[in-house]
Formats: sequence, structure tokens, C-alpha cells
Amino acid sequence: MSGGIARGRLAEERKAWRKNHPHGFVAKPETGPDGSVNLMVWHCTIPGKAGTDWEGGYFPLTLHFSEDYPSKPPKCKFPQGFFHPNVYPSGTVCLSILNEDSGWRPAITVKQILVGIQDLLDQPNPADPAQTDGYQLFIQEPAEYKRRVRQQAKQYPPLV
Amino acid sequence: MASHQRSPAIKGAKVLMVGAGGIGCELLKTLALSGFEDIHIIDMDTIEVSNLNRQFLFRQSHVGQSKAKVARDAVLRFRPHISITSYHANVKDPDFNVDFFKQFNVVLNGLDNLDARRHVNRLCLASDVPLVESGTTGFLGQVTVHVKGKTECYECQPKPTPKTYPVCTITSTPSKFVHCIVWSKDLLFAKLFGDKNQENDLNVRSSDAASSSQQAEDVFERQNDEGIEEYARRIYDHVFGYNIEDALSNEETWKNRNRPKPLYSRDVFPEEPSQQNGNMDKNCATDDPLSVSAMASLGLKNPQDIWSLLENSRIFLEALKLFFGKREKEIGNLSFDKDDQLAVEFVTAAANIRAASFGIPLHSLFEAKGIAGNIVHAVATTNAVIAGLIVIEAIKVLQSDANNYRMTYCLEHPSRKMLLMPVEPFEPNKSCYVCSETPLLLEVNTHRSKLRDFVEKIVKAKLGMNFPLIMYGPALLYEVGDDLDEDMAANYAANLEKVLSELPSPVTGGTMLTVEDLQQEFTCNINIKHREEFDEEKEPDGMLLSGWTQAPRVEKDDNKTVGNGGSSTSNASSAMPVEAEEDDDIEIVPIGKKRKLGEISKATNPNLSDVADDDDVLVMLDGENLDVKKKKKLQ
Repeated sequence: MSGGIARGRLAEERKAWRKNHPHGFVAKPETGPDGSVNLMVWHCTIPGKAGTDWEGGYFPLTLHFSEDYPSKPPKCKFPQGFFHPNVYPSGTVCLSILNEDSGWRPAITVKQILVGIQDLLDQPNPADPAQTDGYQLFIQEPAEYKRRVRQQAKQYPPLV
Repeated sequence: MASHQRSPAIKGAKVLMVGAGGIGCELLKTLALSGFEDIHIIDMDTIEVSNLNRQFLFRQSHVGQSKAKVARDAVLRFRPHISITSYHANVKDPDFNVDFFKQFNVVLNGLDNLDARRHVNRLCLASDVPLVESGTTGFLGQVTVHVKGKTECYECQPKPTPKTYPVCTITSTPSKFVHCIVWSKDLLFAKLFGDKNQENDLNVRSSDAASSSQQAEDVFERQNDEGIEEYARRIYDHVFGYNIEDALSNEETWKNRNRPKPLYSRDVFPEEPSQQNGNMDKNCATDDPLSVSAMASLGLKNPQDIWSLLENSRIFLEALKLFFGKREKEIGNLSFDKDDQLAVEFVTAAANIRAASFGIPLHSLFEAKGIAGNIVHAVATTNAVIAGLIVIEAIKVLQSDANNYRMTYCLEHPSRKMLLMPVEPFEPNKSCYVCSETPLLLEVNTHRSKLRDFVEKIVKAKLGMNFPLIMYGPALLYEVGDDLDEDMAANYAANLEKVLSELPSPVTGGTMLTVEDLQQEFTCNINIKHREEFDEEKEPDGMLLSGWTQAPRVEKDDNKTVGNGGSSTSNASSAMPVEAEEDDDIEIVPIGKKRKLGEISKATNPNLSDVADDDDVLVMLDGENLDVKKKKKLQ
């Protein structure tokens, strides 16, 4: 049965999200040009935390689930070239809870993933750099890093 | 209530009662006196005067207040130390979700409708909390125990859909008084006073329906220059005279049936009826449209009298005139309401005139109202007995005394002086679509049926879901709810109008759909089988759902309701409302209860041998005979 366990779990995640989700966040299955709605890919928005340099930004994130979900975590991607020490140039997020071999557990929900990534935005993990640009500035030029973060927040205004 | 027997299981138990009505009042009292100390109670209703004769926790001064709250206050007065939490709310509210249910050790139902019962059943299954379910109908009642994985769930046996009648029986060949009531209420009343655009089979004829329907439609319109007396008599002559004569012309129909007698007003009324008409002014004293009465204006007082054909005919004309004279504003929007005196009078009279024409015994307004409104008188003692049984089963559940669980039926005609009939609970039905995961089968023409047909006729009507999610593999085909954003809602709305095979993820033969409900925590899989042709008579939905025991029978009942070349309406055939209401010291029977009782013999027989071996259980009863009697009584 295609997408058996993954699909069942994603339906649960979908229902749970529809019933209750954190303010300012968006998460919904992808709608294709032909109107098909695919539970395996979710388009999300993560708001930058108030009181941080990320405030005001609404950052688009895509979750790609595999047939092995929830045994394996979804791949989480910001747009290509997203500025953050723990985001690869492709946009893929590097975070322990998203790593099958370290922090991922099947019980982690979509909500927890998104909130975890929101936390990561303002609290990068210098032990795990994923891009040189963001990492170098974060370590060596805090002022310039701050400026870039604020600039990026302006690039992603709220959608509505 | 032997207080010395209080066990820790009772004292420490947290129980949820759903319903604080007839059974609920008795139940709350019995729970409190049995030593339960943490009781939560949900009821969305407020107290009405007609409740007071049996819902003894309520007094006249409480009318209009929340049942749950007043019941709580009343019981706290004699058991002040216990905790009772009341919720004046609908149990279907999202607040009462799986997490809410999980906090309880047992759930006790005292509900009055099928819909809420199914909902609670599903939540109890999802949260793995045992359910003790109950119902009463007059002298009849039952208590059943539903423990996930151990006993059957509330929906393991299909519950009866409302009793329905084949359209042709209603329109052409009535043989029972109830057929005349259905005709009068769902066809004639709806045609004259309801939505004009509704499809209605009142004029469907066996042969020349197409050619004459246009004309026939106009018959019911009052002409501009037409006097009300003239109009009323024309309607009378049309439906009781001309239509019958027209039907008689079809000889085939009457070969094995009694031929009906056409009735014309000129034959029924010995003289001009206008002289005998009641005085309409009598009604002018009041502005309340619900108090307008043809009986009052004709001086007929006793609703239990059986009126003659002449009296019925006078009521018919008078009621019709009063509708046009006093309640013209409502015409076009009326639907039958058992609390609407004039509507009951009209429906009674019309049913009786039709009955007279077909040689069926006439009935009093009181009886007709009972049939039309699906009313059965509630008996306080039955409620008390049932409430006691609920508590007994609840205690067994709390003590995990699974071997002694019983379904208990309270009988109207005890044989050998045994009022109660205990039956061992059945195991879960392996093909139950609610508590098992066996997929259902849907035969459907995937090139012709739209997603909307599937949602309305199967997912909502048959599976009882309110906020469905429909999935094909990982593709979401449909969701509904206020929380959806505009784009998604528009996308799903577009899907609704597409035929199954042209959806973005095409649904064809061999497809398996998964349907879930946002609130009910209930999932079911449906295998799709493409079928080109459907019998319009027998399968008017153009779909056939099967896959759980006995379900096809329910399906057939549904299908029977429609006929006559697809122009039929559910209106015409759905005889009785499912929703139960309460009124004037009576309760309306949700058909669920009736059938449940009707099942007694069925339910009992497989267990006969078990029962005989079991010392606890009492002498067997003559199940079948009871069953037959009961069914007759109830219908």
C-alpha cells in the first residue's frame, strides 16, 4: 500500500496541525499546478522570533517526507542560499533532531520540528557549520552577521 | 443503595455522563447514592416544562436553565461532599476530544439520538475508555457494554436508518395508515406549504408522468382571482378525487388490491360547507401563529376522538384556509413540525381522508400526531430501571469483571415474571467499519459520480462523518473546515464537482481511498470498484457500499425509498425523522432504539445455549413473539 505508515502518520499530523498550531506558523501539504494535494511535501512558514534580529521575517521552509517517515526524519529546506550558519547552500537545515543518527525520534511532531528550527534561527550551533558565509561572519564579524540577518528578515515579509 | 459496599473502584472512579435528561437524572442520582465521587456531566439542552414529570431533579423554576447544571446542583444538595462537574455543551464540540475522554474510567450514555451515540462510541474507541450505552422507549429499554477489543462496539451491528417506504406505496398503493401519514406529511403538506422548488412525487403517475407533470405542477398554485374556499375545494378534489380516479385507470395496479374510492368534496359535503364553517374570528384573539387551530374554529375538542370522513374533510378545508388566511407569510417555507397544531390538524385530516378512500381505518389526531412526529411516551420507571442497570454495569467495568458484563433488555411484556433479560455481550464484529480496519467496498461509476456524491451520500450519510479528510495514498482529495485557507478551500471545492476518475489523483477501479474525520479519530479504508450501470430504482445513489455485516440490508432499505424515474425525493420517502426530541411528557423514539429492541430476539438466540449453562442468568423468554408484538406497536 503506497505510503501506508507514512501516509497514516501524516494524516494525523495534518489533523493535529489543523486543530492547533503555534501562532504565525504555516504548514500545509503542497498543492500542485493540477490541484493535487500531496501529503508528502509540506510548505511551511516560520516566523522569526520577536525580540531577535530575525523578527519580522516569515521564512519559507519545505518539508520533504519519505516513505520511511516517521522512522526517518523529513528533509527540511529553506530557499537556496539562505543565510544561516547551520543551513547548507542548498537550503537544507542541519539540526540534531533532524538527524536520524542522533536526535530524531519518530514521536517528534511537525510542530516540534518547526518550533525547533525557529529556535535554531537565533541560536546557531557553531559546532556544526553548514555554510562558510554565515559561519565566518557569525564567528568573526558579529556586527556584519547581525546586519545580514536583519536584511534577510526584510526579504521575507509576511505573506498577507 | 448499600453504602457499606462502596469499593475503592467506585470511590476513585472518574466517570463521564453524557445526557442529563430522562435517563440522565435517574443516573446521576443513582451514581451519587452508590458512592461515586467524581462525576462529569455533559448536556446541551435546557429544561422544558414537558420534562418535569419524569426528570425529577428539575422544578418549574428551572425551566430554561441548563440541564447539566441544574442536575448537578440538585444532587449536590443531598451529596454535598462529592464532585460533580457540569458542561452545558454539545458532546460533539471539539473541546471534548480524545484527550478529554482519556481522563475518565468509564463513559455512561443517556442520549436521545443516534448521531451523538455514534460520536461518543468513536471517541471512546479512540481513547480506549469503556462505554456503557443505554436507551429507553416507553416500557422498553436496554443497557449495553462496549469495551474496545472485548465486546462489540456500538456500531458493530448496523443501526437502523429511519424507516422508509417505497415511493409507489406512498404515492399510489397505501395499505397502512402510516403510508397515508407519510403521503400527507411529506408530499401533500410539503407541496402546498413547503418549498415550491423541491422535487415532489405527489403527481407522479405510473405512465404519463412526463407529459402531464407540467400541468400538474400548476394545479397546486392558487390562481390570482381564486377565492380561498374555491381553491381549498379544488385541491381536495384534485388529490382525493381526480388523482385517485387517474390511478384507477391503470388496471394492472388493482388486480390484486382493493380499488380505492375517489372522493370529491361535492359528494362528501351534504350541503354548502361555507355555512357550517367555523368562525375564523375565534382565532383572532391571539397573534401566535402556532395557536391557530381548525379544530377550535370547528368546535372539535377531543384530540383522541376519531373524526368521521365529513369532519376530517371540514378540518382539511378549514386548516388550508387558515394557513392562507392567518399564516400566509410562512407558506413556501413551512416544514412539518409536530408542535405546530394547525400542521398536525391538516396532516391528520388529509391522512384520514386518504385512508377512507383506500379503506384503511381512520385514526385520531392524537394517534396521527404520534405517528407523524414519531412520538413514544416516556415512562419514568423504565428510565429508573435502566439507570440502575447502567450503574451495575459501570461497577463491573471499573472492577474489570469482564466475565460478568451483560447487555440487559427491559421488556414490556415479561414472560414468567421476568422483567429484565440479560444477555452476554458479543465479541467485536471483525468487519465493523468503526472498530475494525477491514476495508469497505464501494461500487461506483467512477466516470459519472462526482466527488460530491461520494462525500454526501457515503462519507456523511453512511459513515456519519462531519469533517472528513479523503485521501488516495498520500494525496489529499478533500478536506473541510473553517481553518482551511482560501486557496485550499477553493481547490477542494473544485474537486467536489469533478467526477472521480478526473480528480487530480484519478480514482478508478482498484483505488483504495482512506477517509478520516478531523474530530472523530476514526479512519476507514474503502476499496473502489468501477461499475458501469446502476439500477435507478434500487440503487438511486448510483453507488453501493458494502463490507460490514448486515450493512447491505440497511443499504437496501435506503434504496427502496426511491423510485419513479429518478425524479423522486428523499423527502417523499423518508418517513420519520431520526432526531429525537422531547415534548409534552413524551419522547420521540430515535429509530435506533426501536431497531435495537427489534433485535432482541436476534440478539438473544445465538446466546441461548450460553445462557442455559449460566446460573446467573434467568429463565429464557419467548423472544420472537415479543419482538413481533413490539414491532407492531412501534410502527
